[in-house]
Amino acid sequence: MTHAGSPPGDPRPASALVWVLPTAVTAAAALTAALLVSPGLRAPIFWIGLAATLSTAVVAAEAARRGRAAAALRQEVAAREAALARQEAETVRLAEQLLPHVVARLRQGDFPDDVLAGLGEDLSPGLTEEFRAAHRAVLRTVVDVVSAEEDLRDSAQRAFVNIARRVQAIVHQQAGELRDMEDRHGQNHEVFGDLLRLDHGTALIGRLADSIAVLGGARPGRQWNRPVPLFSVLRGGMSRIIDYQRVELHSVTEVAVVGPAVEPLIHTLAELLDNATRYSPPQTRVHLTAVEVQSGVAIEIEDGGVSLSEEARRRAERMLQQAQEGLDLADLGETPRLGLAVVGRLARAYDFKVSLRTSAYGGVRAVLIVPQELITTAPATGRAHGIGASSGPRPTPTTTGSASAPASAGGTLGGSAGVGVPAARAAAAPATTARPLPPARPENDRDTSGGSGPEGLEKRGVEAESVPEITERTPSGLPQRRRRARAAAPATAPPGRSVDPVISAASAAAADTTDPPGQEAPPVQPGMWMAAFQSGISGESTAAPSAGQTQEKPSEKSEQP
Amino acid sequence: MRGGDEEWDEGTPERLYVITGGRSAPTENSSLDLVTLIVAKSGPTPGMQPEHAAILRMCHSPLSVAEVSAYLHLPVSVVTVLIDDLLSTGRVLARAPVAAAQLPDPALIEAVIHGLQRL
Repeated sequence: MTHAGSPPGDPRPASALVWVLPTAVTAAAALTAALLVSPGLRAPIFWIGLAATLSTAVVAAEAARRGRAAAALRQEVAAREAALARQEAETVRLAEQLLPHVVARLRQGDFPDDVLAGLGEDLSPGLTEEFRAAHRAVLRTVVDVVSAEEDLRDSAQRAFVNIARRVQAIVHQQAGELRDMEDRHGQNHEVFGDLLRLDHGTALIGRLADSIAVLGGARPGRQWNRPVPLFSVLRGGMSRIIDYQRVELHSVTEVAVVGPAVEPLIHTLAELLDNATRYSPPQTRVHLTAVEVQSGVAIEIEDGGVSLSEEARRRAERMLQQAQEGLDLADLGETPRLGLAVVGRLARAYDFKVSLRTSAYGGVRAVLIVPQELITTAPATGRAHGIGASSGPRPTPTTTGSASAPASAGGTLGGSAGVGVPAARAAAAPATTARPLPPARPENDRDTSGGSGPEGLEKRGVEAESVPEITERTPSGLPQRRRRARAAAPATAPPGRSVDPVISAASAAAADTTDPPGQEAPPVQPGMWMAAFQSGISGESTAAPSAGQTQEKPSEKSEQP
Repeated sequence: MRGGDEEWDEGTPERLYVITGGRSAPTENSSLDLVTLIVAKSGPTPGMQPEHAAILRMCHSPLSVAEVSAYLHLPVSVVTVLIDDLLSTGRVLARAPVAAAQLPDPALIEAVIHGLQRL
């Protein structure tokens, strides 16, 4: 057929003529045959030719019509195939992109209507209205189901966090009361031991409540307002595990952790230490060290248990990674998963980097990197018992004393009283400096409750007036000793008192009675009480040095005027 | 002790049993009591437990166990355990206080006073 060779873009003119050509050829052949044969046969030939031409014309016309119909059908098929391909592509896109996107946004807490509205024009472009409606219905159903599930999980989380908070409150109160009882019954070893065990159990309950709160998306437990020394943080972590006695605390770098990160860090450490002690033989030790590294502080926990296979290690790290997806109720059942989920969540929230490696001891070495932003060298909260003061004494520049500082014997004995208070302030308020806790504290938050009496009792010859302070801190948070400058010539004290710097505790106690009225004895002066007690029990007069001091410094003499 | 307790609670997250390693009473020197005098034989060394170091620093001159306990804001049992550690490593000396028995009998003194008054 001729239209086969015609350009495909222009089939219509060729197909209009396609039935004419065979008809014309047949007519021409019939006419030629009629002209060539003898005249007698011309009539039948003519008729036969006419019939042949007509039938050819009919057949050709029919063929052309069918050809056109076939072309139309082919176009229709192509159009439908295109539509089908679009629908398939859109359905695949719905399944592979839109639905995950929608579910992810719902999980992040977006509202279902917002999510659907955001997809409005994006949904199934170029499809029929029915198809778009169907896609929209599918999305709506999925969104409804997912949001219902998210609501359920949210309420479950809230319920868990709520319960955990209440447990935490009770545990905190209980811990405070236990601490009170420990102070009250501190002299009775049996009762004290029982209290310690109760305290330990309470701490374990508190950790569980903290874990549930963390898995519920809340903060773990209490807030700390001030930086806490890393040493205390590590021991705080140890406080909350069962086998804390197996944890060996090695060198700890002397830095502090900023307040908001203290509780998460304690809890993370507690969970890691719990894993380490739980999955190592009971007779082995768990080693805990903290060293400074470029990116912050690296806390290492090494146990002597079974080594992690590469596959188990990957699984554990994956567990740490997956911890973001919220409270999985299945987590609450299994201890290692619970712990790792908590660690993972806290690590994600506070930028801790946790990695699990094979330890040189054969067990697992967990390394927790605390970022630099959470580390501070600011004055820490080390209190009187010297937490964080793990280094020895170090020399510091002395505060040069001014002559206006009060120098009553009670003040010297008080020792702690005016330490660090600027001389001008001390001169302005001589009476207050004799108190153990002066109203005006030094700006770098020195601890004045620490070692008051020892300085008072401390006799160092000519340097006795420079009283060393025990738990002071440098601006970098490190403990140090500082000499307290004493006045050489107080205005209120008898002149003889300031001549000899060596003042015994006993004489100081007695001197209190002769001091000017403004300089009353500090209310709490354990050193004084004990010194008086000792001197009293040893039967010596108040003018004589006390028994212990006599043995220490026989040359010491009384200051009693 | 309520005030000290709050300071403690605010200041330190660790519990007492961690400080003593779970011990509630000294193992060797059970003779330590409130008035036993403690003297440090050496200064603190780096790496010591902070409480040990604090005791060594404050016991530069003799201090009673009760005083150490008060300064550290720690119960006496904890302090005796810590001092027991230091005693067993020879870092401190414990000295019993002068016994009250060395004093003259108060009744005797009273009798003397009465006798003098009667003169």
